[in-house]
Amino acid sequence: MTRSKQVLILTALVGMMVAVAGAADPKTVKMEGSTTVGPIADAYTEVFKRMYPNVTITVNKTGSGNGAAAIVDSRCDIANMSRFMKIQEFKDAVAKGVMPVAHAIAMDGVCVIVHPSNPVSVLKTEQARNIYTGKITNWKELGGADRKIVVVSRDTSSGTYETFEKLVMAKQKMAAGVQYVASNPEAHATVKSTVGAVAYIGLGFVDKDVKALKIDGVMPSRKTIAKGEYPVSRPLFMFTNGYPKLGSIVHALVTFHLTPKGQDIIDAKGFVPVTDY
Amino acid sequence: MRTFIRRVLDRLFTSIAGLSILLMAAALVLVLGPIIVKGASAVFFCGTVEFRRMQVHEFNSGDTEAVKAETQRCQEARKPAWELIELFSRGIDTDRLEGQVKDAIREYDKQMRNRVEAGSLGAQEARNLRAKARRLRDFMLDALETTDKATALRRLKDVLDSPDRAALQATAGEELFRLAEQYKATVETVDLTRRDDYAAALAETRTLLTRLLGPAPGSAPKAALAQFRYGATRWDQALKLRDELLWREKYVPDQPGKPLKKTRVRRADEFANTKLAALFPMIDQRLEKMLNPRSTFYWRFFTDDSTPGHFFGGVGPEAIGTLMLTAIAMLLAVPVGVMTAAYLIECMRESLALRVLRTCINTLAGVPSIVFGLFGLAFFVLWLLPKLSLSNGPSALAGAMTLGMLVLPIIIRASEEALRAVPPSYREASLALGAGGLRTFVKVSLPAAMPGILTGIILAMSRAAGETAPILFTAAVAVGPWPGSPLKPCRALSYASYDMAVSDKLAAQVPHNQAGMVLTLVVLVLLLNIVAIVIRSRLTRKLRGT
Repeated sequence: MTRSKQVLILTALVGMMVAVAGAADPKTVKMEGSTTVGPIADAYTEVFKRMYPNVTITVNKTGSGNGAAAIVDSRCDIANMSRFMKIQEFKDAVAKGVMPVAHAIAMDGVCVIVHPSNPVSVLKTEQARNIYTGKITNWKELGGADRKIVVVSRDTSSGTYETFEKLVMAKQKMAAGVQYVASNPEAHATVKSTVGAVAYIGLGFVDKDVKALKIDGVMPSRKTIAKGEYPVSRPLFMFTNGYPKLGSIVHALVTFHLTPKGQDIIDAKGFVPVTDY
Repeated sequence: MRTFIRRVLDRLFTSIAGLSILLMAAALVLVLGPIIVKGASAVFFCGTVEFRRMQVHEFNSGDTEAVKAETQRCQEARKPAWELIELFSRGIDTDRLEGQVKDAIREYDKQMRNRVEAGSLGAQEARNLRAKARRLRDFMLDALETTDKATALRRLKDVLDSPDRAALQATAGEELFRLAEQYKATVETVDLTRRDDYAAALAETRTLLTRLLGPAPGSAPKAALAQFRYGATRWDQALKLRDELLWREKYVPDQPGKPLKKTRVRRADEFANTKLAALFPMIDQRLEKMLNPRSTFYWRFFTDDSTPGHFFGGVGPEAIGTLMLTAIAMLLAVPVGVMTAAYLIECMRESLALRVLRTCINTLAGVPSIVFGLFGLAFFVLWLLPKLSLSNGPSALAGAMTLGMLVLPIIIRASEEALRAVPPSYREASLALGAGGLRTFVKVSLPAAMPGILTGIILAMSRAAGETAPILFTAAVAVGPWPGSPLKPCRALSYASYDMAVSDKLAAQVPHNQAGMVLTLVVLVLLLNIVAIVIRSRLTRKLRGT
C-alpha cells in the first residue's frame, strides 16, 4: 500500500464520520433511568416505532438515581423513575434551570414472596418487618415448617428497596444477615431455588414458581393495588423538564398510559394502570 | 540420595504444572461449554410455524407465500381446539356474552334513533320498540346471571318465544336471539352451578393455549407488542408449554408443620364430563400438526435487529455497536499508548520520575472499570463533548474514549516491554549509519517491537469489547436504532447482556437469546484476536526474513 493510498483512505474515513454526524436526525428522544420502568419504556418504543417511523427513541436502564441525575444534567428528555425525586435532586435541578415535572404512569405493587412449598401464606406488616430486622428467624414462629428464614432484600440503591423500607420497615434497620441481590430477576431466582427464602419483588415478576403472600390480609393483585387496598404499592414516574410541548413525541410518550393501547401495555407488562378503560 | 530428592522434586513440579494446565482446561470447558451449547441453541433449533410467521412479519425474511400456506394448514389443524374453547366459554364466560347482548341492544337503539331522524318511524313508536327491546335484554341478562338451570331456561324461553320477536326482525336486535339460541344450547350441556370454578380454570387454559398457539383467529393480542402476536416459536418452548397445559402444579398440605408437597394434577380432570375435556388429548396428540416444527438454522441471528427486550430477533445492532466502540477505542488508544511507551523508553533516562510514572501507569491498570465509567461521564459526556458542541448526552465517541483510557495502560506496558526487548545493537547500527533518532525509531525499533505491541493490542481489544461499566453511563443504550454516527449512543453486546439479566422478566422466557448474545460476544472477540494473531505471525515471519 502506498502512502498516498493510505492518506486517501484516512481522509475518506474522517469524511464519512463527519458526514454521518452531520446527517443526525433531530427527532431523537432519550429515556434514561429505572430498571423497573425500563420495560415499559421498551414496550412504548416498540409501539412508537410503528406510529412515528421517523422518530428515534433510545432507552437506557441505569437506575432511578442516574435517571434523576440525567434529567438534571439535561442528558435525557425523559427520566424513568420508580421513586419520586428527592429534595436534593430537586434543588440541583432548579439550580441548573431544570424544572422536573412528574408524570405518574402506572402503579406497582411490591410483593413479599416465598417458595411455593411454604405453608405460610399471610403476613402482617409487623411480621414482615420483624423478619427483616431479624426478630423472627424461623418459619415455625409464623406457623410454617421448622426452617431457618433466608432473608433476601434488594440492594439499597434500588427504588424497590426504598418503597419497602418506607412502607414496611418504617425506617428500622435491616438485620446484618440479610442477603442483598441486585435485581428483580435475581430475587425471583433466589426464592425459586431456596425453600426457606423470603424476598420482595414487583408484581409483574410474580409467577407460578414463587408464592406472593397476603399482607395484612390483602392479596397483591391488579384490583387490590388499583383500589389502594394492598399496603405496599408505589407509583412509577416519568420526569420531564417542564411540561412537554403539546403534540411533541415526549408529550405523546408521557401521556401514552392514558390511551387504551398504553394501558394494555402497562397491564401486559405486569404493572397496574392508573386508568381503567 | 540428593539426586533422588531432586528427581522427586522435579517430577512433582512437572505433575503440578500438568495438573494446573488440566484445571485450566477444565475451567475453560466449564465456563465456555454451557455458553457454547446454550448459545448455539439460539441459532440451531427446531422452529415452529410461528417462528417463520414472526420472521416474515417482523423482519421481512422468508418466503411469504409458503409461510402463508403453512400458516393456513396449521390454523386448519388448530381450528377444533379453538372451537372447543369457544363452545365451552359461551356458557362460562358470561361477562363477554353480557357485553355482546348490551352491544346488540345499543346498536338497535341507534338504528331506531336514525330511523326517527329519517322520518320513517314515529317518535312514540320508536320509544315503545326500544322499551320492548330493553325488556328482552333484561330477560337475557337474567338468564346469563343465574346459575340455576331451570331459571335460565325459563328466561331464555321468555326471550325466544317473545311476541315482540317479530318487531326486532331484520334489525341489529336480531343478534339477541342468535345469542339466546347459542346460550340455550350450552345451558343444556354445561353444569351451571360450577361456573365460577370453571371460569378461573378456563381463563388459565385460554392463556396457556394463546401462549402456545398465538392469539385465537379473529381475536386481538393482549397488547400491541410482538411478544403477544405469536405462539411458541420454538419446539422446545412448545413442549414445555404443552406440559404446563396438560398438568397443573399444585402444592398441597402434607403433614402439619411440614412444607407443602408438590403434586401434578391433570388439567383434563378439572374439566371432566364437559366438552372441553377433549381439548387436552387433542393438544397432546396433534400439537405437531398445529405447529409444524422443523429444524432451523437461524444464521440471521447475528445480523437481525430485535424487538425491545430481545424477545424475538438477533443481535445485529449490538454486534455492530461493539465493533464500532472497540474500533474507535483502539484507534484512539493505540497511537497514544505506543507513543507514550516510545517516550518512556527512548527519551527518558532511568530516574525517579520514570519510576513514579511507571507506578502511576500500573495503578491505572488496576483501577476498577466503573471508575473509568464515572470519569467518562463527568469528563467526556458532561464537559468535553458539549464544550466542543459535538453532542450532549451519551455517545459512542464518549464511550470509545472511556474504553480507550481503560486499555491505555495495557498497551503502554506491552509496548514498553516490546520496545525494551529490541536489542540495542539494532539501534546502534542504525544510528551508526547516520539515521536520526526518529528515523531509527520508526524504521528499526518499532517494526522489531511490533509483534509484542500487537500482543498488547490483542489483550486491550478483548478487554475493550467485553467491558460494560465504562460504557454504561457514556455510550450504551438498551433500545435504540442501528449504530450509525459515533456522536450518538449505540447498543453493545456487553451492556445488552447485562440489561437482559437485570431488567425485564422477558429474559427468563428467552434464555437462548441471552446465551446467544454472550456467545456472539465471545466469538466476536475470538475473531478479532485471530485476525490480530494472523497479522502478528506474518510480521514475525517478515522480521525473521523467511
